[in-house]
Amino acid sequence: MAFKEELPALWVEKYRPKKLDEIVNQKEIIERLKKFVEEKNVPHLLFVGPPGTGKTTAALCLVYELYGENWRHNVLELNASDERGIQTIRERVKDYARTVALGDVPFKVIILDECDAMTSEAQWSLRRIMEMFWRTTRFILIANYGSKIIEPIQSRCAIFRFSMLSKEDIAERLKFIASREGVKLTQEGIDAIWYVAGGDLRRAINLLQAAAAYGGPVDDVTVYKVAGKARPTEVHEMLKLALKGDVLAARQKVYDLMINYGLTGSDIIRQVHTEVFRLDVPEPLKMEIEDLVAETDYRLVEGANEDIQITAFLAQLAKLGKKMAG
Amino acid sequence: MSTPSYVPWTEKHKPRSIAEIKEIVGEAEYIDSFVSWLRNWKPGDKAALLYGPPGVGKTLLVEVVAKEFGYELFQLNASDTRTEAALRRLVGQSSKTVSLYGSKGKLIFLDEIDGLYGVGEADAVKAIVELIKESRVPIVMAANDPWDPKLRPIREVSVMIEFKRLRSSSIIKHLKKICAKEGIMADERALKIVAELAEGDMRSAVNDLQAAAQGKKRLTVNDVSWLRARNRQYQAFDVLRMLFAAKRCDDARNVVNSSLLDYETLMLWIDENLPRQYTDPEELAKAYYYLARADVFLGRMNRGQKWELLKYIIDFMTAGVAMSKIHPYRFTKYGFPQKILLLAKAKGTRAIRESICEKVASKCHLSKRKASTEIMPFLHVMFEAPGLAKRDVSRWLGLDESMEEFLKKHR
Repeated sequence: MAFKEELPALWVEKYRPKKLDEIVNQKEIIERLKKFVEEKNVPHLLFVGPPGTGKTTAALCLVYELYGENWRHNVLELNASDERGIQTIRERVKDYARTVALGDVPFKVIILDECDAMTSEAQWSLRRIMEMFWRTTRFILIANYGSKIIEPIQSRCAIFRFSMLSKEDIAERLKFIASREGVKLTQEGIDAIWYVAGGDLRRAINLLQAAAAYGGPVDDVTVYKVAGKARPTEVHEMLKLALKGDVLAARQKVYDLMINYGLTGSDIIRQVHTEVFRLDVPEPLKMEIEDLVAETDYRLVEGANEDIQITAFLAQLAKLGKKMAG
Repeated sequence: MSTPSYVPWTEKHKPRSIAEIKEIVGEAEYIDSFVSWLRNWKPGDKAALLYGPPGVGKTLLVEVVAKEFGYELFQLNASDTRTEAALRRLVGQSSKTVSLYGSKGKLIFLDEIDGLYGVGEADAVKAIVELIKESRVPIVMAANDPWDPKLRPIREVSVMIEFKRLRSSSIIKHLKKICAKEGIMADERALKIVAELAEGDMRSAVNDLQAAAQGKKRLTVNDVSWLRARNRQYQAFDVLRMLFAAKRCDDARNVVNSSLLDYETLMLWIDENLPRQYTDPEELAKAYYYLARADVFLGRMNRGQKWELLKYIIDFMTAGVAMSKIHPYRFTKYGFPQKILLLAKAKGTRAIRESICEKVASKCHLSKRKASTEIMPFLHVMFEAPGLAKRDVSRWLGLDESMEEFLKKHR
């Protein structure tokens, strides 16, 4: 095997499939990818689908099987949301594509993850880069939403849509891992993980490992405990303070979240979206708040200064809170 | 020969005579006007109202002249209870009685009369006017801004004497003299910076000099450079006050021109202080609506290099915010943009967190952002839980002690 390194301590990595055949579900996609490997001919690929459905894993398995031990020399993994703009991506691709591929595959592969984080201008540049280096490189682009990828890129790629994993898929994988790790996983535990993580296998495995870290069996109680701890309570408190009219204190929570948890404004607003429905306020008010959340989420993308947008949202909440109080 | 730190240089190096004052400011009309008013004063004459910006020597002149001409000074300023009753008492105590021996007489000095505020304000003005009319001794007053309509009755019974901002050259001359007495070799350019930042206010220049130079043998430009930042902060407070008090769009919009702060920094200041100024959720929400609009346009401008959008940004953040008020402007204590301070303070922990995310990202085929949102919360839980082989995780991710500490302690 090509993987001589120490076994990963995090189960999401430890149990990440190494072969296309091990991937949970996504049968048709796997069959086609295996054909590419056989023929040693890969077009540009675009993997789209919800988080935790195996997109990155499929890309990695593809290159493991394509290059075997040499995969590291022939694959460049980039993450669009980590690179500082398209210029650095272009530079890195250029440097990388300059050398010839090792082994019997005549091209190298660039895996570019989280492409939907790219602006459309950046995507247009990416399209040109793909064109420029087509002789020597193939791109595997990965995104949650295909619609966020510009048409010209879509038309140059074979598109694979990863579907949400079913409860059976998730349960089977969790049971497999639990038995390997000697962890007792109850049916209630599985139900709870499914309730919290849905079809996101990455999150499901993280929940399993964190719950198992408490030493006892993994049941619904431990799972909900972990889920509760993993969710910052600051967001809930922030909303309550704002509704009470204390915008200054609520904003302090925003700073806590940004500094201590390293959350961005979008992360916070995403958390808010789930918290809104847990608030102890009249049902119609929840929808008024949700309306504000949606607008704020959109503005965060357009604005320059995230905490201004969030504080503006909190001020609106204070107004709603005052109205509610009469 | 540095002085003990508790003697303010503004006191220690205060001019003691009219001649010493003239040595600093040169021949000044206002000195002569005041002296001749006092010399010629007889009961029934007008009072004197000295006005001008702070730190130009109004109070000092009154003190020095009183001493030189042998008057006994009765002084009251804004920190005293300035109610009508207090003034009445003063009328009773001093103005109607004349010392028979020892001094030429009394001089009543009401400092900072534009600081009259609170309950009984109108009554206080009335009491002062009566005091002036009845007094058998001269009354002198001082104010920064005497043009408040409420002070009109007082203006009508007063001789107005204007004090101008001091010239930088005058301030530098005095600072040099202080440095010589304190045994400090001062770089001329450093003194120039102190003088210029003071904007004609001698008191603040001397205070700044003391803060920067006390205990030193030499004063260089480096010793005074921090003053600039501090001054900008004062400036920001004034700008905010003007902005929040503005009643017309144009007044609010002009604030940007009169500010040393660039519009992006000003935006941070407004953001920080909006919830302090506007406490009614109704007006706060409206003001934030405009500030958020300004921010959206700032984003659009920066991304598309559409500089022509700047005018809207400024309109939204100034006039939009100012016109959102429902309740009249009230004095508010402002604060320095906290986010800047907090981010600086949290720099250490943030750096630790970021390097953990980086390690997770490289091991788990994730972006740093996803590592932060998808993995970090679970890592915290795992490190808190008793059962996990933490050492394995640490070793695999390559965490050092401070990172482990962060993961354990953080919650």
